[in-house]
Amino acid sequence: MKFSKYFKDNLYKFLIFIICYGINLLIFFAFKVDKSVIISSSFIYLICFLFILLIPYYKKRNFYTNLLLNTQALDKSYLVLETLTKPEFYERELLYQALYEINKSMNENVSRIEESLQDFKEYIEMWIHEVKIPLATLVLMSNNHKEQFDKKTKLQLKRLEDYVDQVLYYARSENAEKDYLIKETDLSKVIKNVGLKNMDDLLENKIDYIVENVQYKVLTDSKWLEFILEQIVNNSIKYKRNIDNSYIKISVQDEFDKTILKIEDNGIGIKESDLKQVFDKSFTGENGRNTNKSTGMGLFIAKNMCEKLGHKIAIESKENEYTKVYITFAKNKYYDVLK
Amino acid sequence: MRYMNKIMIIEDDELICNELSKLLENNNYEAIILKDFKNALNEIIKTSPDLILLDINIPFINGEALLQSLRKESNIPVIMVTSINSEIDEALSISYGADDYITKPYNPNILLLRIGAVLKRTKINYNSNIKELTYKELKFDITKGTIRKDNIELKLTKNEIIIFAYLLNHLNKIVTRDELMTALWDNSEYVNENALTVNISRLRNKLKELGYCDAIDTRKKMGYILS
Repeated sequence: MKFSKYFKDNLYKFLIFIICYGINLLIFFAFKVDKSVIISSSFIYLICFLFILLIPYYKKRNFYTNLLLNTQALDKSYLVLETLTKPEFYERELLYQALYEINKSMNENVSRIEESLQDFKEYIEMWIHEVKIPLATLVLMSNNHKEQFDKKTKLQLKRLEDYVDQVLYYARSENAEKDYLIKETDLSKVIKNVGLKNMDDLLENKIDYIVENVQYKVLTDSKWLEFILEQIVNNSIKYKRNIDNSYIKISVQDEFDKTILKIEDNGIGIKESDLKQVFDKSFTGENGRNTNKSTGMGLFIAKNMCEKLGHKIAIESKENEYTKVYITFAKNKYYDVLK
Repeated sequence: MRYMNKIMIIEDDELICNELSKLLENNNYEAIILKDFKNALNEIIKTSPDLILLDINIPFINGEALLQSLRKESNIPVIMVTSINSEIDEALSISYGADDYITKPYNPNILLLRIGAVLKRTKINYNSNIKELTYKELKFDITKGTIRKDNIELKLTKNEIIIFAYLLNHLNKIVTRDELMTALWDNSEYVNENALTVNISRLRNKLKELGYCDAIDTRKKMGYILS
């Protein structure tokens, strides 16, 4: 709280004081009062005025500085009301009252929106379970009646499945609630499941799935990690180069305090100017625009999920040469001791 | 006639039930569809299947609850087949006593491999304790990875073992390249189309060395058959 601004707000008090003081002086002169009386009473006047001006200033300054500082220091500034002690002055009490009401109405609003969000998420989950039944039936039918369904049907069904999964994990990862279970997970198993799921796509596109030395365990949710890895593998398939020896190479680097999963391909790569934005929502970049196959959601959801699980995800690329994605899992020493 | 494992399907979507039982019957299993969900437990005990495919969302009783009450009575292997893809549900199902957990929509080849694996693990498969398979006069030792006839013994590579074991388990039936591919990838052998072709011709040559020419026949656009 700046004094100059406070003074400006209280300028009227100063003016009233000057006017009163002027009138007083006139009265003194009119009655030919002794000079020493005028000086001493002027002095008292001045002191009184200063007190009237300064005491409320210091009191208010304490209150408002506190309020402002707390607001800035809190990561959720709307909780500032909780940090205030109940004020003993009427003016501040009104402010407190108003803040309280505002807070209350905002909380009601937020909880209403949270509720509708939760409803929506539940609906999406239910819808996905419903839609998976005809999808599963179609997959079985395409297998049982090979004469009626060719390989293309299978690949299209797979795409459908991928998009459905994307919605499911988007709903899960955007939700504030904890929807995952972290436990010790075999990386080789996750990599195998992703490979099996995308086998047809990989073979169809003549991309070698090279898996090197991945017998490591990490702390994660295996289903979530499977989805994350699938987004990366899907991208590698989508953005492969037209060369003979296309590959996706998956390897693990095990260090003292972390395990790094590396997924490398020799596809078309990502333009340097696009690289920083690949994890942004709905970002498709030049590759996406050129191939028209991108929703810009896969990596965004993957990044979100990594953040929730506490993994780091990073990307490196050189156009027309390679793309490398690194997922870093922290090791938990405490967990090791428990074993 | 080989013993056919009885598999019970507990699932309320009729179309899926029919397609599942078709898939199972095509692969030498006897499929039984549970009709009376009200008396599910009794029906199961009465039929005493070798394995149960159980969906979580079934009428009258929740799949997990059914599994819990089943486990009080019997150890019949159960594979949860569900559309809920979540680690939490999987952990719950396993803790209730499920032997495996597969999410819809599943790849049929993978489903069959999982069924085979669970049956093997639970030791009621017809060849569960046999480490040695036989093909005509040829002896196939899976753990050692060798084929032997009379005094000639040949070593097979890991890929050849997987392929030969799969063909042998589907004797006299056409096996698609897709199925072989899935079996290989399921064993973390991520081979490509060329490698599969090479592996099969190597296996053929090894069988030829033991005197079995044309044991593995190629059926155009369909796959291979061991006969």
